[in-house]
Amino acid sequence: MIPVESESTSKEGTKIVYVSKENLFAYMKERKDEGYDILLMVTGIDYKDHLEVVYHLLSTSTGNRLIVKTKTDGEVDSVVPLWAGANWHERETWDLVGIKFKGHPNLKRILLAEGWVGHPLRKDYPLDKKQYVNLKENGEDYVSYDPREGY
Amino acid sequence: MEDKVIEVNFGPQHPSTHGVLRIKVKLDGEIIMDAYPVIGYLHRNAEKLSEMGAYPKALIYIDRLDYVASLNNELGYVLSAEKLMDAQVPERAQWIRMMLVELNRIASHLVWLGTHGLDMGMLTPYFYCWRERERILRIFDEITGSRLLYNYFAIGGVYSDITPKAIDMIKEFLSDFGSKLEEIQAIFAKNYIYVKRTRDVGKLSLEDALSYGVTGPLLRASGKKWDLRKNQPYLYYDQVNFDIPVRQEGDVYARFQVRIEEMRQSIKIAQQVISKIPEGEFYNKKFSKPMLVRLKGTGDSYVPTESPKGEYGVYLVGDGSTIPYRVRIRSPSFANLSALPIMLKGYKIADLTATVSSLDPVFGEVDR
Repeated sequence: MIPVESESTSKEGTKIVYVSKENLFAYMKERKDEGYDILLMVTGIDYKDHLEVVYHLLSTSTGNRLIVKTKTDGEVDSVVPLWAGANWHERETWDLVGIKFKGHPNLKRILLAEGWVGHPLRKDYPLDKKQYVNLKENGEDYVSYDPREGY
Repeated sequence: MEDKVIEVNFGPQHPSTHGVLRIKVKLDGEIIMDAYPVIGYLHRNAEKLSEMGAYPKALIYIDRLDYVASLNNELGYVLSAEKLMDAQVPERAQWIRMMLVELNRIASHLVWLGTHGLDMGMLTPYFYCWRERERILRIFDEITGSRLLYNYFAIGGVYSDITPKAIDMIKEFLSDFGSKLEEIQAIFAKNYIYVKRTRDVGKLSLEDALSYGVTGPLLRASGKKWDLRKNQPYLYYDQVNFDIPVRQEGDVYARFQVRIEEMRQSIKIAQQVISKIPEGEFYNKKFSKPMLVRLKGTGDSYVPTESPKGEYGVYLVGDGSTIPYRVRIRSPSFANLSALPIMLKGYKIADLTATVSSLDPVFGEVDR
């Protein structure tokens, strides 16, 4: 059994478990073997002094749900080897919240253009700074602050 | 051998991508070796926008996620928000919600069925589907005042009561939609070409479906009997009688069959609901309209609901102020689309449109 840091319940009654980021992968592997076969989503939350990664798990055989949370400073282990669906969710979390996933096969931005500056769901993201996206000759995106260089 | 593989871009501007999906396809002759979906062309960051205003203000962005099933989207948000604020909802409001959500499910499946026909080269069913959907939109117009984006479900109830005229319209629609559906189904299922092009195409095994987090009709077409309305009932789904359609094949034709059967079950549910709507308030008096922007929430909540595409829910984190601290939208299309490469690998390029449209992706929801 991998130790958990603390337990609580969310407002609708789902169990929330805090795990240290060193134990995260081992803990998730244990849960996967226990029967949590669907990873519903990966979320990142910016609490200003630290970041938090939230995993929603579902077991379709028993109907149990579990929320796993980890406090981090910006990097956690990827769970793609356990659930293939984590691939896009982790890319999105990197894209919008700026949390790196160690061991991810293709950690690129997914919703925003490659080369975008900053992560919009961080609380200190500058909303007044406009960025313009354009295409290079080879079909890749690039971003600039000059309105004449993009749309 | 290697130099024979060519890379082709499918989309983002292509009529059968259902919006703006781009797929980089690696082809060996006409066999798909690999596929790499590129998304994000419709990205507006609804999550950030929702974190910038009071709780009810997020609803207009939630409406615009899955724009063919807006009420299903709103339901996920208001249920989560109500749990966050410990709000009680009158029984009548819950039953009204349930009926409208089922009607919207039919409308969403009809949009899918019509456009799926177009992708397969059939123009006729499109008009049949749009004719039936138009009747549902008129009902919504009568009840909510809008045809596409409703902003009708509010925290603590619904914005307006349903009228006797609307009830008559719904009854009339439910009485003959079943036979119309039979007609539409026959256009597809009795067409030799359609069945040939969809059987054993775009197969998704159950292990892959679970691993990729695929939910909704796709999961049920791959052989898992899993429907949140039955397995983890919300609203009053435990008080109505209906079945979950399941198919074992996991191909495009199985998904077609599952969605058609789901529409039949939705008719069944709506017919039961309409006789069960009790008299009473349609919103909680504590949550009257001027009060809505002053609502405060603490803690976190996530209420899963079964939208036409799969498990939909909004994960809300409140910090005790009137503005949500974090809004995370679990959109089913996003997870379903991530499984696309394994559904395409090994099939011919001509099967690509059939497989993509069988996912029923809506890009307002994928890109958020």
